[in-house]
Amino acid sequence: MLALLASLAAVVALLPLVGVAAAALSGETAAIPARDILRYGATSAALAGLVAVLTGVVGSLAAWLVVMHRFPGRDIFAWALALPLAAPAFAVAYAYADLFDVAGGLRIWMRADLGFDLPFEMRTLPGAAFILSCAFYPYVYLAMRAAFVNQSAQALEAARALGCTPQQAFRRVALPLARPALAAGVALAVMETLADYGAVQFLSVQTLTTGVVRAWFVFGSLTSAAQFALPLLGAAALLLWIERWGRGGRGYENANARWRPLPVTSLRGGKAAAAAVFCFSLIGFGLLLPAGWLAFAFLDVTPDWPRLIQAGANSLTLATAGAVVTVALATGLALGSARVPHLARLASLGYATPGAVMAIGLLVPAAMVWRLAPGAAQGFGAGLILLVYAYAARLMAAALEPVDAGLSRVTPNMVHAARSLGRSEGGAAWTVQLPIARGALLTAGLVVFIDILKELPATLILRPFNFDTLAVIADNYARDERLANAGWPALLIVLIALPAVIWLTRKIAASRPGDPA
Amino acid sequence: MTIPALTAQGLSKAYGSKSAVIEASLTLRAGEITCLLGPSGCGKSTLLRLIAGLETPDAGLVAAGERRLSGPEGVVPPEARGVGLVFQDYALFPHMTAEQNVAFGLRTLPSGLRKARAREMLEAVQLGGRGGAWPNALSGGEQQRVALARALARRPEILLLDEPFSGLDAHLKGEVRLWLTDALRAAGAAVLIVTHDAREALLMADELVLMHAGRIIQSGAPRACYLDPASPEAARLLGEVNLIDGVIASGQARTPFGDIPAPGLADGPAVVMVRPEGLRLSDQGASATVAQVRFGGGYHEVQVQAGQQRVHMHLSGNAPAEGQAVSLTIDPELAKVFPGLRVT
Repeated sequence: MLALLASLAAVVALLPLVGVAAAALSGETAAIPARDILRYGATSAALAGLVAVLTGVVGSLAAWLVVMHRFPGRDIFAWALALPLAAPAFAVAYAYADLFDVAGGLRIWMRADLGFDLPFEMRTLPGAAFILSCAFYPYVYLAMRAAFVNQSAQALEAARALGCTPQQAFRRVALPLARPALAAGVALAVMETLADYGAVQFLSVQTLTTGVVRAWFVFGSLTSAAQFALPLLGAAALLLWIERWGRGGRGYENANARWRPLPVTSLRGGKAAAAAVFCFSLIGFGLLLPAGWLAFAFLDVTPDWPRLIQAGANSLTLATAGAVVTVALATGLALGSARVPHLARLASLGYATPGAVMAIGLLVPAAMVWRLAPGAAQGFGAGLILLVYAYAARLMAAALEPVDAGLSRVTPNMVHAARSLGRSEGGAAWTVQLPIARGALLTAGLVVFIDILKELPATLILRPFNFDTLAVIADNYARDERLANAGWPALLIVLIALPAVIWLTRKIAASRPGDPA
Repeated sequence: MTIPALTAQGLSKAYGSKSAVIEASLTLRAGEITCLLGPSGCGKSTLLRLIAGLETPDAGLVAAGERRLSGPEGVVPPEARGVGLVFQDYALFPHMTAEQNVAFGLRTLPSGLRKARAREMLEAVQLGGRGGAWPNALSGGEQQRVALARALARRPEILLLDEPFSGLDAHLKGEVRLWLTDALRAAGAAVLIVTHDAREALLMADELVLMHAGRIIQSGAPRACYLDPASPEAARLLGEVNLIDGVIASGQARTPFGDIPAPGLADGPAVVMVRPEGLRLSDQGASATVAQVRFGGGYHEVQVQAGQQRVHMHLSGNAPAEGQAVSLTIDPELAKVFPGLRVT
């Protein structure tokens, strides 16, 4: 029965991907020449490369500082460095584009009173890379932090005993040991970069994902959209492979070593101040400055309250429904994947797949259903079901990871004990596995909840007519050159996501190996 | 003869190309303790899991009384077997109190009875006041007793215990063994204990089953197995042995350390197995040299050399000096001749 449930969950995640491939290769004439797809692809690749380098350096450095050093604010930074996850990338883009607008107050003042201008422009490829790095560095930070916290104190002590300074021990031992985690964290940041639509669209940087959405909305061509999506799917598979490889580096971890406190260096004076300023500036650039600027510049705009409230309610409902469905499917997948081990890996492909691609892929099977039963699959409810389906397919793997971790606390013998005490396979799952993994299920649900709140492209493509979420109305205003009106919905997303992010990151920061957790 | 509580016949299980259990057969009788003894990796845990229904056999039968549990026609799932299990790691449910753990398997009872039965079982394992405790607040020995109470609460006719002594400190083992033997006898179930500890197996078992490399190589009463092992492997499983190359000639097995009778065996090479306590110093016998003497507590462990071969013996009382020439005899009661073999 569990094997069946797991197979169902995997099919849910894979169906849209098959849809994309089918549509792209369907042979209908494309509206967009291959040369354009290549150009969009080059932009995507360049952007991904820049974000990979920036987030890799910044995230690793922050993790190393926080794990291995003592300086003012360190215990708060440990979890607060992940807070920018609450801000959708498009909100960060709105704030920076406005703040550093050539015709904006700041630049005018600098030119007039300081006599010089900033040598950069946000609505460019480097500007987009800066903004996305601000939004996505927490993925690298969290992965590297986990790697550093889990590293064996003995290996570092051995390096010190063999004559390394702390810095040399970091460079020659800790960093190579954490290389798989770095690969995994950067892969996540790149996945998010490739998946982003709202920010790059607003900054007029034309990536494959903007191509997918435009091909669908402007040309109405599923085939063209799918052809933009196909390279993204390939990149997704590659990134997933990199991320898995990073995770597979567990061989480096010494599971048997007793956990001992890491040798922490106390920083003093200038060094301590520099460390604190560095960490604070990351949170500042990623969350405080953009959210603060949005609030300062736009909160005096009176929003269209009924529309905003309706969109907020829609966002909450969708995110909650999506979280429940996704976690349920991921749990089925996790419970059953012992029986069907390759399914889980396949289903993770969805996580690497941009939401826009997922949505396009879903339109193919949906179109078939529409053709077969025109009445059944149309209308408001059907659209919402499709949307929740897209979220579940895209975020299944994100939910799977905490669920798996939670279930791994249940030893096989506990399940066997329940069986020998008269419970069926499903009964054992219900009475033993799920209650023990309760906290992990909540974590998984929150991860999905936050991601759905921030999701834009799949919602844009699949939402029923006139069904707005906060992200959708923010995007609408921004696209209509009414950025000031986008402030409220963007900030509301941050406000709703923030408590969940705080809860998650504090939980992550509190967990250490050796804890019964 | 009554029908055994459990019969396993010709059970085989392979993982890929690696055979874990090869044509294993054994029987368990109500009220008897059977110990399945073997080195780690010999397949004894797999055999236990085959009996419990946690693994599906490739071939062979399992029956409880006259009820077929595994066979070519299918496999009864573990929850329907009525076989109790106590795991090596106890596998207590960490999200339930001790009492809830014990009550877990009793859901067919109304809740009042269920509670009463759980309490009663905890009393029986001397944990009467600890019902509200969480598993991680219990000591290893207490956790084991909760696991036992949990398995016994359903009054299983067959109870399987996997390595019940492996998680315990050495000084606790003796106490737990005595207590466990009483508790198991009181339960009246047919008990199978899987262990790699020869001493515990000998002390607890009514019936001993020896396993080596996936096969059952001998079964019988502990004393019979110890004194009359079926093979050098069986002999080794049950304790320290000396294996000596010797020669059979006209009904006598001759070794550098003494001769023993080998009636009815054909002339030729043989391995003579002698327990360390089966070698004696005597006035007349084979000459050998004391190579090393170590004090072992209640005895001296003495290494003795003759030609290229060396044996060790346990001597109580005064020990000879190193380098001293001694003469030895072998106690035929504690020795056994395996004809046609060489020590490798």
